[in-house]
Amino acid sequence: MNITGKNNPYSDIGKLSHINRCIQCGTCSGSCPLSDKMDHAPRELFALIREGSYEEVLASITPWFCVSCYACMVRCPKEIPVTDLMYAFKEKAREQGTVPKNLNMTDMYDAFSKTVKQFGRVTESFLMGRYGMRHPISAVKNAPLAVKMALRHRLELKPQKIENPDTITRLYELTEKGGE
Amino acid sequence: MKICFYPGCSFASSAGYKESTEAVCAKLGIELCEITDWNCCGATVSFGENTIRALSLSSRHFAIAQSMGFSEIVTGCNACYATLRKAVDVLQNDADLFDRTKHVLEQIGITLAAVPTIRHLFEIISCAMPSAAIESYKDVPIAAYYGCQLTRPHQDLDRGDHPTVLETFLEKIGFTATSHSAKTSCCGASHAVIHTNECRVLTQRILREMEGKGAKAVTTICPLCQFNLDQNQSKGVGTNLPVTYFTQLAGLSLGISPKELGMNKFLVTAEKVWTRP
Repeated sequence: MNITGKNNPYSDIGKLSHINRCIQCGTCSGSCPLSDKMDHAPRELFALIREGSYEEVLASITPWFCVSCYACMVRCPKEIPVTDLMYAFKEKAREQGTVPKNLNMTDMYDAFSKTVKQFGRVTESFLMGRYGMRHPISAVKNAPLAVKMALRHRLELKPQKIENPDTITRLYELTEKGGE
Repeated sequence: MKICFYPGCSFASSAGYKESTEAVCAKLGIELCEITDWNCCGATVSFGENTIRALSLSSRHFAIAQSMGFSEIVTGCNACYATLRKAVDVLQNDADLFDRTKHVLEQIGITLAAVPTIRHLFEIISCAMPSAAIESYKDVPIAAYYGCQLTRPHQDLDRGDHPTVLETFLEKIGFTATSHSAKTSCCGASHAVIHTNECRVLTQRILREMEGKGAKAVTTICPLCQFNLDQNQSKGVGTNLPVTYFTQLAGLSLGISPKELGMNKFLVTAEKVWTRP
């Protein structure tokens, strides 16, 4: 078994070799709050990587359901940085153009990043609005909450921004692939 | 004492976190020096997009803090804390990523020379609070809620799954801490909009556990946790627990009025915390 071999599309991920230590105990999957939404819970994903089923792994929705609670990571008896690997898998999927289609979470991430790139900061009401433009049903469902927030003077109607948002826009452009 | 403060995007519009932090810090003689022109840290999004971008978003603050004369950055948000802390960890252990990040920042006119220590506002306030509180709330049982990213993955402050620092703090400032098993269970805040139903089940489990163990209110240390636990109760999870910030309870204990602490901004009203029978 060699998970750092040539045919492995993840082989350049620095922490990947940690998966060699996995004893398949399932503590990660058992600790995960959203594992039942995943197609392969973390333990299974690691088994697939080790057996070389890369296509299945690249198409997996699992990393997109990671909530970053790090429960798996602190509990793993072999100290595998599970959450960090989920981040790395998402980054890899973006690089390779294999981000799963039709996942609402990817739309939310895109809305978040566009907001940071444009203003340098995130304003929740504005982020929800941006996401809601592509997901009108979600926008309608969240409208009553927005009213309650407004009544308690917690709804920001203007986007927060840094003094010179071009700085962050430039930072985004510089870090696009090949832009460094 | 002066601290270099990184508020993060959710701080100002949260349910009294800003008001209570400012009031308590003023009373304790802590001066909050906000990082000049701070930007979003990228939270749980950027590291899954592009490592160099995520490191650059965080470390722009490291350079600014240094130019302000600080070697420590303090934040009151768990997501900001874990993100900045993660960037520090990566930059300290990977010279290549440090150089690439430095190069990006140079092109926007920022010089990255060193990485700071990242601390949570909780550490600062819990140390500065006097142990003999002015008011006593011994008859108010509070459930401490740490959320995920204070003690995970970096266990700088306490153990990842079973921390006790918040309970110690509650007892020190005159409240009673309840014993319960949901203090570091994930509430799903980062996915709450997308996976609403699944995350409601997570918060329901947490809140029912707290109420079942006798809590009258909850205290949190993160704007995302506060919002998620508070707003889900308006959607029928069956509990009625006001979700406060630790700074608000510190403020009550110092004799500051609930209104001044922004405690009128919750969705689940909190009068029962300070109303004496």
